[in-house]
Amino acid sequence: MHALRVRLRRLARLSRAVLRNPSASAGLVVIVLMLLMAVFAPLLVEANTPDPYQMPRDWAAINAPPGTPGHPLGTTPEGGDVLYGIVWGSRLSVRLALTVASITLAVGITLGSLAGSIGGRWDEYIMRVVDVFMSIPELILALAIAGILGPSFRNIILALAVVGWTQYARVIRGEILKVKQKEYVDSARIIGETPLRVYLRNVLPNSLTPIIVIATLDMGKIVLVGATLSFIGLAETGLAEWGNVVSAGQQGVVAGRWWVATFGGAMVFLWALAFNMLGDGLRDVLDPRVEGR
Amino acid sequence: MSHTGPTTATLPVTEPGDRTAPLLSLRDLRVHFRTERGVVHAVDGVNLDIADGETVGLVGETGSGKTVTARSLIRLLPSPPAIYVGGQALFRPRTACGQCAGSGCAKCHGAGYVPEPCQVCAGAGCEGCQHTGRHTLDMLKVSGRVLRTIRGNNIAMIFQDPNKALNPNLSVRKQLAEVFSEHRAGELLRDAGLEHEAGALLRRSASGRSSFLERRTLDLGPLRSRHRRLEAVIDEHIAGALADTHVPNPKKIMHRFPHELSGGMKQRVMIALALACGPDLLIADEPTTALDVTIQARILDLIAELQERRRVAVLYISHDLSIVRQISDRVAVLYAGRLAEVGPTERLFEDPLHPYTRGLLAAIPAFGQRRGELVPIEGTVPELVDPPPCCRFHSRCPHAAPACRHVEPELHARPSIQSHEAACFLYEQADALGVDARDMPSMGESGPPAPRVGEPSADEEP
Repeated sequence: MHALRVRLRRLARLSRAVLRNPSASAGLVVIVLMLLMAVFAPLLVEANTPDPYQMPRDWAAINAPPGTPGHPLGTTPEGGDVLYGIVWGSRLSVRLALTVASITLAVGITLGSLAGSIGGRWDEYIMRVVDVFMSIPELILALAIAGILGPSFRNIILALAVVGWTQYARVIRGEILKVKQKEYVDSARIIGETPLRVYLRNVLPNSLTPIIVIATLDMGKIVLVGATLSFIGLAETGLAEWGNVVSAGQQGVVAGRWWVATFGGAMVFLWALAFNMLGDGLRDVLDPRVEGR
Repeated sequence: MSHTGPTTATLPVTEPGDRTAPLLSLRDLRVHFRTERGVVHAVDGVNLDIADGETVGLVGETGSGKTVTARSLIRLLPSPPAIYVGGQALFRPRTACGQCAGSGCAKCHGAGYVPEPCQVCAGAGCEGCQHTGRHTLDMLKVSGRVLRTIRGNNIAMIFQDPNKALNPNLSVRKQLAEVFSEHRAGELLRDAGLEHEAGALLRRSASGRSSFLERRTLDLGPLRSRHRRLEAVIDEHIAGALADTHVPNPKKIMHRFPHELSGGMKQRVMIALALACGPDLLIADEPTTALDVTIQARILDLIAELQERRRVAVLYISHDLSIVRQISDRVAVLYAGRLAEVGPTERLFEDPLHPYTRGLLAAIPAFGQRRGELVPIEGTVPELVDPPPCCRFHSRCPHAAPACRHVEPELHARPSIQSHEAACFLYEQADALGVDARDMPSMGESGPPAPRVGEPSADEEP
């Protein structure tokens, strides 16, 4: 199939361009390592029973420094293994990022499309809701929602999903308003296609490029904000989650027990940095305005 | 132009589906745009007929309403802001000749098509078909469903820039398959010999409605060979359409993406797309403007050839008078949303009636002409925001008289040549308008434009 070959060739060209970009490929390497860590978590550190997402407590070794036998990265003041928190925490981070991103993408694209393609009154309604959401700082709003729902990791996911869809809605709406003007959309309508088909075949596929970049950048931010919420204490206590690990080590930093907060924080930092670098690289590759540089 | 104006119920109709009734009649078409500065009268009372197989050139400068006129008759304008204020766009579709099934015979005068008789009165003539006996649709009023069956099937359009008019994300085949699926699904199934044995899945596939999963099912299941047959028939249709527009190696080209083709090739694909279903009317909106001159000539030849072969009526929109002169049977000159003049091409070019047409022709550069010999039309096009009743051209007209500034001229034929009409008081009698004879313009006074101080003019802000 020629069509398939062209698509594959295009994909190959795109990935080559991404890999040529040093910061994007560095980001990609970190992301792949993180994903591998999440997938092979049970092989790296044995799962805790009954709940593998609770850090195992070793009351015999509280505040153990890195290098302690059995606790290569040390322990928290409650005897939680830092390595365990980091390795299994990567699973929770992947889950958080993927769930929130897919919910926000679905909601954002749907509502943004409705606003952009139907327009008129619906455009007004949807975009005013978006304005209201965007006028409140994201973190504060997520904090309030998660606080009302009660402390649990699932509520953090929910809160971030409620907060995050607005930027997609806004960008998709703008893209659709732009693509709708293109002549090929007219030429699809003049063929006699139904409005829905014109939208699905001609408008939407040509509006998605900027979304890819934003979603990539967003994956980093979601984990950052999620870790912040769990740092504040909006996740279950003792959860093997990066923000939680940082929170457990918070008191100890002054007393010289640097390792808990540092390792937990480093993971959040690396994750956010990696996605930002990949996102920026993708923007350079996909944005036609910077193409040909 | 044989059938115009009001008719009575006693009008004699010779045969079902009057052959002489025009394919398309624009009757007092008015399309306005609501803007923040007021209502823009983009098209303000256009009357135009297009007969079967005729080429009508619609000329005018930028902003004169050419494109709005063309797009409004297939309702392709975004609304809002466009408002279809009034008038009718009566379209009378043709059907394939029963005798020769489209190949052309004596009965259909070689066209392969015959007028479709009115569904209400079967050709006897009723209110609905305006006593033409032909099936008549008002394109401004028909439902969305009817409109979609007309678009691409009976009326097609080609656009100015082929680089922008093809979806960059779909192969040529996918885009062409769309037309056939949309309008010829039954024919595709019949040609594949699947008329009676096609299940819901194949039917959906023929009409281009299959989802990704359905296509995989068709590829794997026991339906595979039938689906292959259907796909082969679609390929054949597409290759045929491309071959008609002289695309070399159509079987190969159809798998290409638009960015893999040259501009001229893309325009050929666009024309193939437009003519795929054998439309009655082709709207060509400056189809050669974006192409370079050598390709321009070839595309024009192609349009002329296909028109000759299929007897398609063409509404050719352009600001290039030399092209219009070359390909049109009749020319309509649009100025500021109103028709200034309509007439047979040669007559209009040799003996233009309206001062605007004369100005246009004087402004065409000719070979060997020296600098300074071109005569531009003084002034600019008036604003079209809430225009007062007047001749739209009066502020630039060398013959402008008081009557031109207060009364709106209508298109009228000159007594000598019925088919040549102009909207100008130069050719009218003062008493017919109820205006003082001294206020009428005359040919003699062809000095500079009359002073405009203190006069209400169209370019005044409302």
